[in-house]
Amino acid sequence: MNGAGRLEELLAALLRYGSWSASAAIGLGYALALIGSHADSWNPPVLSNMRFVRVGIVLFILLPILRVLLMLLFFIRERDFRFAFISGMVLAIILLGIFLGVPAT
Amino acid sequence: MAGSFSLWLFAVSMAASALGGMLGMASGIFIVPLLTIFGHVEIHTAVGASIVSVIACSCGGAAPFLKNRLTNIRLAIVLEIATTTGALTGVLLAGIVPVSYLYLLFAVILFLSAQQMLARRRSPVLASAVSEASHSRDALGLNSRYHDRELGREVRYRVHRLALGMVLMYGAGLISALLGIGSGVLKIPAMDTAMRLPIKVSSATSNFMIGVTAAASAAVYFMRGSIVTEIAGPVAFGSVLGAIAGARILLLVPNDKLRVLFVVVLVVLGIQMLLIVFGVHLIKVSR
Repeated sequence: MNGAGRLEELLAALLRYGSWSASAAIGLGYALALIGSHADSWNPPVLSNMRFVRVGIVLFILLPILRVLLMLLFFIRERDFRFAFISGMVLAIILLGIFLGVPAT
Repeated sequence: MAGSFSLWLFAVSMAASALGGMLGMASGIFIVPLLTIFGHVEIHTAVGASIVSVIACSCGGAAPFLKNRLTNIRLAIVLEIATTTGALTGVLLAGIVPVSYLYLLFAVILFLSAQQMLARRRSPVLASAVSEASHSRDALGLNSRYHDRELGREVRYRVHRLALGMVLMYGAGLISALLGIGSGVLKIPAMDTAMRLPIKVSSATSNFMIGVTAAASAAVYFMRGSIVTEIAGPVAFGSVLGAIAGARILLLVPNDKLRVLFVVVLVVLGIQMLLIVFGVHLIKVSR
């Protein structure tokens, strides 16, 4: 039971700080765009600022995948191989999707 | 022009997410209809933006559930085999299914959500009150317990019909990927009714799974280039802030009035999505 509690703490911390970081990256991108624009017209966001926004989006997409990876490592360390296998399967399905989703070019 | 559209996306997402958050619903169900009907965003781009905000809301809201031990992590990872497989199926279908079918399916989901919002959830806790002995049938160790603050005691529960649950979760994952929603509207009944979990446990576990399910499809959409930074950025950021605001306002507004407002919005959006299938735009917006 103690072990399960520690996993919950770990996951909560990962998801909380991960969400904050991703949101902060997106917010920073727009804040810079806002500062960089002139008072009378909100110019199209500058490319470098949009890069922060993109990093934030990628962080959000990676966060749940990292969460599954964390569970996989935790279950391996706890020698709970059935659940390590299940976590590994979920990870494999997600990676398979990324692999299939890459354009053929 | 581009700047003001970003602001509009941000404001709409924040409002949708605040509304959704107040009733424990993901904002995803509003974002795609709002973006397509009012923003004239192409539906695949809207789905791509929405799915990122779904991840944001799931990850952003998960910590309190985990700390209170409401989330059944082991059950979640088992069911995620089904939801992620469903998500991949949905992503593959998204490129093939005609756009009008997507609108039609979305309308159906909106009406289903409205109906679900009207019918209150009943807790199956008492029905599934479990004795120590029944743990013997729990091969994967999924049965668990949580501390219910209102009841002031520990509630033990059993996971029923795991196979049926997996099948329903596959469907939920498919719809989630296809429409860019969290599809809590399908997950919650599956967990409440089929698997007979206590409401708090199914809400927390569903929220936990939604992130991984959405990430499975979002990763593919990202690789395909369907996630447009200029659209997904403001939507995700607005949703995060909206969810925080929604949780605060929740305590100030009477729940029943909110529920009625919600049902009306869902039905109106559903009708408009249905009309688009037949090429009718009731709500004329010029931008």
